[in-house]
Amino acid sequence: MDPELKIENLPQITLRPLGVADVDDFMVWAMDARVARFCTWEPYTSREDGLNYIQNTVVPHPWFKAICLNGRPIGAISVTENSGGDACRGELGYVLASEYWGKGITTTAVKMAVKAVFEERGEKLERVEALVDVDNVGSQRVLEKAGFCREGLLRRYVVLKGRTRDMVMFSLLSTDVGIL
Amino acid sequence: MDPETANGTVSETVTLRRLEVSDVDDFMVWAGDERVAKFCTWEPCTNKDQALDFIKSRVITHPWLRAICLEGRPIGTILMTRDSGGGDACRAEIGYHVAWQHWGKGIATAAVKMAVKEVFAEWGPQLERVEGLVDAENVGSQRVLEKAGFCREGLLRKYFVLKGRTCDMVMFSILATDVLPC
Repeated sequence: MDPELKIENLPQITLRPLGVADVDDFMVWAMDARVARFCTWEPYTSREDGLNYIQNTVVPHPWFKAICLNGRPIGAISVTENSGGDACRGELGYVLASEYWGKGITTTAVKMAVKAVFEERGEKLERVEALVDVDNVGSQRVLEKAGFCREGLLRRYVVLKGRTRDMVMFSLLSTDVGIL
Repeated sequence: MDPETANGTVSETVTLRRLEVSDVDDFMVWAGDERVAKFCTWEPCTNKDQALDFIKSRVITHPWLRAICLEGRPIGTILMTRDSGGGDACRAEIGYHVAWQHWGKGIATAAVKMAVKEVFAEWGPQLERVEGLVDAENVGSQRVLEKAGFCREGLLRKYFVLKGRTCDMVMFSILATDVLPC
């Protein structure tokens, strides 16, 4: 087996549902401009906005987990669910508090998440994809280390905070991780 | 005689106009053809009522759809789809169909070039990208976009389920800045 795809979890990293009780931990990364830089949202300024986001978006989401270090949320990871002809694919997203960047934590969380989501939704889900801003080199490294395939550069693909961005498309197939 | 001239452009006149309910008989020529429908999400029309229903509910209502006409007569359609809200407003997706009898003459290529020019003028400057997603097996359609000046950006694996089969799709795009001004 390709050693890069072997899941070597940092044992202290776990994934679990994120709830309203986690709002204070959530606010640590949600208020951080470095974290928000390539996200569609602006840094949060009020705890109430954080509570609303968790209640209205996170809790009803088909697959949204806290990335926990020794049981405490330091980030989040999600995979969308599509219907119809798009049901074979889910889009991956993740955020991590900047204090913990550069330690391989997000890579571990991504490997855990794709394994879990293919196991849970493997009948329909065949592809997990991620679109990364061309300037977000750190996030591109995460996906490469997690075994994703860089499929191409999609030019002028999306408008982020008023600017049209080129995005790199990555994907991982259920067959890439040996799950059929 | 093959109307395609030496430099690959169609010598008969290709024009775009709105498709009307009265075009139903011409519409059925390609909409009822399995060869045309092969890489499309829809099944071929089998009768006129079905065709009329399709035209009224999906064609007339479409935000940007044109008949591809050869010497004034509809022989296919071309359409542009766009999510005008939010971050997706910079791009539109192209789709097109041509009656089988008129394949291989450069008609779809001509129609694509015209439609791209028109839609960048109509929806610009917000619209910056027109993209096309083509089944990896649909080589003819890939050639159309290449000839029309699109850039092949990559192969998206297991991207879409078409008629029960998960397909790899080739992503093509053309930018407003790629298209030469008149």
